[in-house]
Amino acid sequence: MAKILLVEDDDLVRDMLAQVLTRASHQVESATNGEEATEILKTSDPDIMVTDIIMPKKSGITLISEVKNKHPNMEIIAISGGGRLDPTGYLDLSESLGATVSFEKPIDNSTLLMAIDLLAYGSKHEAT
Amino acid sequence: MGRNLQNNHSDLPYPWLPYAVAMAGILVSIIVWYALPADILTIPTLLPLGICLSILAGVLVRLIQRASERKQSYKLIDETFKKEMTERIEAEETKQKLERALLQGQKLQAIGTLAGGIAHDFNNILYAIIGYAELAREDVDTDSLIHKNLGKVLEGCKRGQDLVARILAFSRRQHHDFKPVCVKETMESVLSLLRPTIPASVNIDFKAMPEDSIIMGNQTQLHQVIVNLINNAVDAMDGEGNVRIHLSHVASSDKIFTQFPNVIKGIYCKIELSDTGHGMDQMTMERMFEPFFTTKEVGKGTGLGLATVHTIIKEHQGEIIVESQLGRGATFTLLLPEYVQMTENSNG
Repeated sequence: MAKILLVEDDDLVRDMLAQVLTRASHQVESATNGEEATEILKTSDPDIMVTDIIMPKKSGITLISEVKNKHPNMEIIAISGGGRLDPTGYLDLSESLGATVSFEKPIDNSTLLMAIDLLAYGSKHEAT
Repeated sequence: MGRNLQNNHSDLPYPWLPYAVAMAGILVSIIVWYALPADILTIPTLLPLGICLSILAGVLVRLIQRASERKQSYKLIDETFKKEMTERIEAEETKQKLERALLQGQKLQAIGTLAGGIAHDFNNILYAIIGYAELAREDVDTDSLIHKNLGKVLEGCKRGQDLVARILAFSRRQHHDFKPVCVKETMESVLSLLRPTIPASVNIDFKAMPEDSIIMGNQTQLHQVIVNLINNAVDAMDGEGNVRIHLSHVASSDKIFTQFPNVIKGIYCKIELSDTGHGMDQMTMERMFEPFFTTKEVGKGTGLGLATVHTIIKEHQGEIIVESQLGRGATFTLLLPEYVQMTENSNG
């Protein structure tokens, strides 16, 4: 079980992902954009952050670079609909900024859960 | 009067002729007047009459000269006028072609951007549908009808996902690796790949010039171009006919460049692909490079084939045009700039 911060502006996707993660017995906190996520991170310290890239107010790219500075041990998973196909290659950028893994939507949820398990196990393993 | 005319038109072939005629006439009149018997000489008006007739003859000659000269100058003006008109019409046509090409390019770019934006939102929507359907599926018995029906929902989503992937493939401006590619070999490999899928009643005739044509390009993209064009040709022929593919060099002086007004003159590799299919009307030809434009039945074509071809050719700094008439097949002409290998010691 891992403590996950889910950042996603699309209500449907956020709700669905929250259900998927909760069912996989993870503890989930949700934010609708980068700003909200920064607020939550002031009081909470999740193991993994799953974030969308294209969001209003504060984009996933900015969020990732901030989080990497303030919480260097937190694992980050970037997800995006435009994906690697966007002109600027957001997902590639997010990976070079510090996201551990990136996925293109629509994601195979079992793959996402597997990645989360691996990262959670890895970080716990490192901690002990 | 004669002098006046001569001043105006000094470039006559024989400007002296009227004067010579008049002088000769006067001379003859005087000689005749002297030679005539004495009793006739008493008529005083005879000599002036002769002189007058001579001058008249001179003027007549001058008038004839002037008439022919005018005729010539009218002819010249007419020719110049005709030439100028043709030049103007040609210039206007070139301008129109250029404007059309520019407009087409802008339109395609705009649609590409739009498609990219839509695809992004669509992926979010699809992801939500897939996620909820999977969640719901987990809650029901695997043998139940609900489980089965939710499986159909997922199947539909999979199709939507494929379509979005194709739209994105069209709108993306990925930087592909460009390497020197031998066009002839590429064509041959595509043809050997495609042959088994093409009906036996379709005859493919491939001709290439003996020497190799090398272009800077992406092999996979070029494959895609040829495959799309050949598939379109085969579809247009309803499974029967001839596809002729001809590969050749184009020098910078070639007259083909008048058909490609917005192409910089140079050495190009020309690929001509013609079919004996049902051809296209003007409206189809104007719109065929637009994404999602298709004449095929629903479910048979995505309308992205030729749009992708257009994008790829543009990425290769090339140009593509089509000539077609309903019922008379179609000919696609592609120009791709040839790769000129520079050695270290070359002077350029």
